[in-house]
Amino acid sequence: MKSTFELEVPAAKLAFGRFVVFALLAADALSQIRHAPRYGSGFNVAQLPGLDALGPGRVSYGLCELVLAYAFVLIACGVATRWLVPIAAVIYNWLYFGSQLDSYQHHYLVAMLLIVACFVPWQRPSDGNGALDQPVKSWALRLILVELAIVYLWAAISKIDPLWLNGSALSAQLHGSLRGLIDATIGMHAVAILVPLTELALVLVWARPAWAYLAPLGILFHLGIVWTGLEIGLFAWLMIALYLFVVPDRVYVVAVRVLAPVRTTMTALARMLERRRWIVLAAAVLVGLACASVCRLPGAHLVAVVATVCVIAAGWRSKRLVALAVAHVLALGMWLAIDRTTPIARDYYKFWGGTARRLNDPGTAETAYRHLTEVAPDDASAHFYLGKLLLAHDDTTGLDELHASQRLDRAHARGYIAEAQWLAAHDRLAEAVTAAQAGAAAEPNNAEARSLVTTLIARSHGR
Amino acid sequence: MPVLASARAFFGTWRGRFITVFVLVQLLLPLRYYVHHRDPHDERFAWRMFSPMRMVQCVPQLTLAGSPVDLRGEFHEAWYEIAARGRFGVVEAMGAELCKRHPDQRLEAGLACTYLDGSQRSYGGYNICAVPQL
Repeated sequence: MKSTFELEVPAAKLAFGRFVVFALLAADALSQIRHAPRYGSGFNVAQLPGLDALGPGRVSYGLCELVLAYAFVLIACGVATRWLVPIAAVIYNWLYFGSQLDSYQHHYLVAMLLIVACFVPWQRPSDGNGALDQPVKSWALRLILVELAIVYLWAAISKIDPLWLNGSALSAQLHGSLRGLIDATIGMHAVAILVPLTELALVLVWARPAWAYLAPLGILFHLGIVWTGLEIGLFAWLMIALYLFVVPDRVYVVAVRVLAPVRTTMTALARMLERRRWIVLAAAVLVGLACASVCRLPGAHLVAVVATVCVIAAGWRSKRLVALAVAHVLALGMWLAIDRTTPIARDYYKFWGGTARRLNDPGTAETAYRHLTEVAPDDASAHFYLGKLLLAHDDTTGLDELHASQRLDRAHARGYIAEAQWLAAHDRLAEAVTAAQAGAAAEPNNAEARSLVTTLIARSHGR
Repeated sequence: MPVLASARAFFGTWRGRFITVFVLVQLLLPLRYYVHHRDPHDERFAWRMFSPMRMVQCVPQLTLAGSPVDLRGEFHEAWYEIAARGRFGVVEAMGAELCKRHPDQRLEAGLACTYLDGSQRSYGGYNICAVPQL
């Protein structure tokens, strides 16, 4: 078996590929947190029959994605891979197979790849003496490439369909600048034929002799898919990252040689830090907790505290304490960076509140919108819905929320209408008329606001 | 026979058996879509990226004792979207859930789908509490 299936690659290739692929997976895991409110609504259909009851809920889904993101960064840094890859594989497979709500095909691919990745020697031998040009043998790495080949094979077969081959399926899905370029050059029909042919060529991705040709072809192919702007998450980027295992070995051997001075400097720095290992750990714990404390992702504080305890416990015995400490800070720093540069936290609470509202669960919706107003105080909708929910049980602080919504969204009448309706229902007709008139002035075309003004004025005159 | 000996050695290890099972499952599982499926819209595990079938637009319709059910008020929006992709399993599970919530009532479930080529097809249209599959 060893002579036919095992793949021998430089340790640098394994280390670089590991870093990029798992860092991407960490980003993907964090981006999924916004979808957590879909889960746990009391109804579930699992990917596999009989597992419906085992699907994740909203809280468990969010926490697991945070744990995955944390673990993936540690794996990317080459820390505790023999423990963390199997743990991540179990969690990931549970989240994916637990519910059909996850319909990303690349998540199925990642679920499969993580199972195989449990058997890749990610840390050896580069975690020891740092011999990055040393060859590493792995049957699992070959199996990862075979899995990619199977994906390409079936993707090509699926396109033997008249609606694909005549270009109409592609045409219906492609928009933007790439669409314009194709229409102006070779046409959709030609691309529809070229795509399955390219996929068929990429089936040979598992065979080393083809790497020199398939690495540029595959990377360009997936960059083209990125360019389409299709809503497929990080699928195309993940595929490009996986091509790091297909780039010919000599590229890595040369890179190791060229970057040798940098590596020497880094090794010297690591040795220096190793002498102050407890100070490094203390700093990592403090910086990590600081990052987590200002991270707005739900459950971040809890997971960060548990992670910190694990890091301290593991650091006690770890020979690679500095690497562990750096990876810990990077993981929690990534949470914070992604939280502060994307609307994930805002989306989470918005979707949670919207779901609870539609499913007639006002208590939960109120909690969600209260969080949303804290995370996004400039969100007019959050104040509007929170105001309505509070006023529904005559909590007059709801009026403050409606006023906030009116200040933030001066072009719409809904905040004023809600206020006017509540005031009118509570015999405060004069105030209600004023609010309704303000609504009609804010949005003159709003028929409901105009009609409310008329009705309320008639009511006040009738008294 | 060095090939046979090599194959025997391969299957003699847990790695060899794991690789064989993994590759076979991954190679054969997509066949399920082409050979044995009752739901043409369910392309899971078949690696049908950007397929024409993905462009199908369906309207799931459930009527309880003659009145249409507001599915978005009963199930999360995301489940409605999956049902609108025509996935039988999800529409059937929605039906089963509603049958549980409203026992002894007639619940008609149907799916009206429009395909990329403009063709249309309807599925179901009968009491899903009595016949649980579309």
